[in-house]
Amino acid sequence: MGQLVVNGLALGSIYALVALGLLLIFNTVQIVNFAQGQLLMLGAFIGISGAVKHELPMALAWASTMLAMALIGIVFMVLVYFPLRGRPPFLVILTTIAMGIVLENIALILWGPLPVSLPSPVRGPPLRFAGVVISMHQLFIFGTLAVILLLQYLMLTKTRFGVLMQATAQDLHTARLVGIPVNRTIAVAFALGAMLSGVAGLLVAPIFLAEPTMGGSLGLKAFVVSVIGGFGNLPGAVIGGLFLGLIETFGARYISSNFRDAYAFIVMIAVLVAWPRGLFGEKSSEKV
Amino acid sequence: MLREYLKITMAGAGLFCLTVGFNRAANADIAACPTTISFGLTTPLTGGLALLGTQARNGAEFAVDEINAAGGITGKKIALATEDTGASSTDALNAMNRIIDGKPLVIMSSMISPHVFAQTESVNKAETPFVVAATNAKVTAQGSKWLFRNHAHDGQLADLIPEYLVKSLKKTKPGILVVADDYGLGASKGIQAALAKLNVTPVAMASYAPSDKDMSAQLLEIKDKGADSLILFGRPSDITLVLKQMGDLGIKLTTIGNTSIVAQTTLNNLSAAEADGNYAIGGMIPQTATDPKILDWAKRVQDKYKVPADNFTVAYYDSVYMLKSIIEKVGCDKPAIRDALAATKEWKGMLISYQADANGDMAHTLGIYRNKGKVPEFIGPIKESGF
Repeated sequence: MGQLVVNGLALGSIYALVALGLLLIFNTVQIVNFAQGQLLMLGAFIGISGAVKHELPMALAWASTMLAMALIGIVFMVLVYFPLRGRPPFLVILTTIAMGIVLENIALILWGPLPVSLPSPVRGPPLRFAGVVISMHQLFIFGTLAVILLLQYLMLTKTRFGVLMQATAQDLHTARLVGIPVNRTIAVAFALGAMLSGVAGLLVAPIFLAEPTMGGSLGLKAFVVSVIGGFGNLPGAVIGGLFLGLIETFGARYISSNFRDAYAFIVMIAVLVAWPRGLFGEKSSEKV
Repeated sequence: MLREYLKITMAGAGLFCLTVGFNRAANADIAACPTTISFGLTTPLTGGLALLGTQARNGAEFAVDEINAAGGITGKKIALATEDTGASSTDALNAMNRIIDGKPLVIMSSMISPHVFAQTESVNKAETPFVVAATNAKVTAQGSKWLFRNHAHDGQLADLIPEYLVKSLKKTKPGILVVADDYGLGASKGIQAALAKLNVTPVAMASYAPSDKDMSAQLLEIKDKGADSLILFGRPSDITLVLKQMGDLGIKLTTIGNTSIVAQTTLNNLSAAEADGNYAIGGMIPQTATDPKILDWAKRVQDKYKVPADNFTVAYYDSVYMLKSIIEKVGCDKPAIRDALAATKEWKGMLISYQADANGDMAHTLGIYRNKGKVPEFIGPIKESGF
C-alpha cells in the first residue's frame, strides 16, 4: 500500500509538472497547447545529447537544456501562435496538435527511434522505510515540483511580470493600450512554459526513457489534471496531478490494469459532472 | 536389333529435346524479368512502432544493397520501394495501396499483425507474393494463398515459454504481464491455455497500455500474490521499463518472455543487475552467434544504421535473399514465385533453416536465451513440434 502511494505520487508529480507549463501559457494567451508533451520530449532528448552524447557535467547539461527550451518556446510561439492570433481558439489548438506531430517526427529524424536513458542528477541508495522503497530520483521529483510550484506562484502573484501576464490574459488589446509590452510578455510565457516542460523531460528521462513518442500520453494527462484541478489554477493542477497519479496506480493494482488510461478520463468526467469548473476552478463571468 | 537401336535413339533425342526446351523456358523466364526488379515494403518508420519497423527495413535494405552491389539478380537490379505505415492500420492499408500501385513483383510487410490483417485482402486482389513477420498466430490462418511468414509467431511462443518455465526452470506459480495490444494480449491467451495443459494456474495476470510508463502497480500485484516467476511479453522500450522498475522495487523473479528481453536496444538501457538472469524465447538474434561472419554482419548493420540488428532484421534480410534465389530459379512470374515459396524446404538463412508449412509459416526454429549481466547468451535452439 505504502509503495503504491509513493509511486502514485511520483507519477502524479510528473503530470503536475507538465500541467504547470501548460497553464503558464494558458494563463497568458488563453490557448491550450496540446504540444506540451512533445516539448517535454524535446527537453529529454536535448538533455541526453548534452549529458550522454557530449558528456557535459549534469548541471551544464541541465542549464543548456533550459536555454534551448526557452528558444524553442519562442520559436513555437512565432510559428504557431502569432500567425493565428485573433483567429478562433480552436484553430490555434488544432495547430498545436499538428505541431506536436511535427516535433515527434523531427525528434525521430534527429535522434532516431531508439529509446535512451538519461542518468539522474542525484545519486545514492534508495530510502527504505517499512518495506517502502523511495528512490533518490523520486525525492528529487517531489522537491523539484514543490520548488517550481512555489516559484511560479510567487512570480504570478508577487512580481510585476506576473501582473503583466494576468493583464495580458484578461484583455490583450487593453493591455497594449496601457503600454504593456504584450508581445514580450507572451514570449516570456512561452519560453517559461517550454522550460517547465524541459524540466519535466529531464526528470522523466531517467525513469521512463526518452523516445520520440513519449510526450503524447504525458501531454494528454497534463490536460486532464488541469481540467480536474480547475483550468488555470496552479495548486489545483498539482493536486489534480497527484490525485490522478494515485487513482491510476491504485486502479491498476486493485481494479484492473487493463483500464489504466481510462481511469484518467472517467475521473475527469466525474469531476466535471460534480464540479463543472474542476475541483478548484474559480467562477467567471463573461460580458455579452 | 535395328528396332532396339531406333528406340534408344528416339528416347535419347526426346530427352535431349525436353532438356533443351526446359532450359530455354527457364532462361526465357529470367529474361522476361524487367530491367529493374521491383520489391515493395510497408513498415512503421514513424510513431510508436518505429523502432521495430526500422529494424525490419534495415534488414531488407541491407540485403538489397548487397545484392545490387554484387550485380543484382542475374544482372538485374532490385528496386526496393518502402512506404511508412506509422502506427495505424488505416495508414498501413493506404501505404499498401500505394505500394500495389507501383506493381511490385513481391511485397513484404511488417511484424505488426493488425497492419497485416488490414492489408491482406488488397494483396490477395493484387495476386502478389506477400512475405510478412506479423506475430499473431492467426495471420497465416486467413486462407491467403499469397501470404507467407518469415518469423516465429506468438502461437509458438505461447506453447514453448510455459513449457520451458515449468519443465526446465521448475517454476509453477507464474505471474503474467503483457503489453495490452494485439501482440501481448494474444500471447497472454495462448500462454494461459498452455499453462492449463501443464496443470499450472498463473497467480496473477496484468497488462499495461503501450504508452504506459509506470508498471509498478502491476509488478507489486504479481509480487503480493506470491508469484515465483514472471512471464513478460512486450516491446523493447516497455520491457526495459518493467525490468528497471523490478530492480527499483527490489522484486526478484525468474523472468522469461519474448526476445525483447535480450534485444540490444533493451540491454543498452539496463544495468547488469537489472538484465542479469532473465530468459527469452523467440526469433533468433545475431548478437549471440559464434560465426564471425554473422557478428561482422551485425556490426556492419549497426555501423550503417546506428540501430542494432535484431531478430526482425535477420528475418527480412533472409527474406530478400530467399526471394532472390527463387527468382533466379523461376523468373518473374508471380504465381511461380508463390508456388516456390510454398515449396520452401530447408532453405538455409543466416541463423535458421526455413520450411513452409501448409499455412505459409516458414520459421519453426526458435532460440532460448539468457542474459548474463548485459550480455545475452544462447542456450540452444528449440523447434516447434512436428519440425
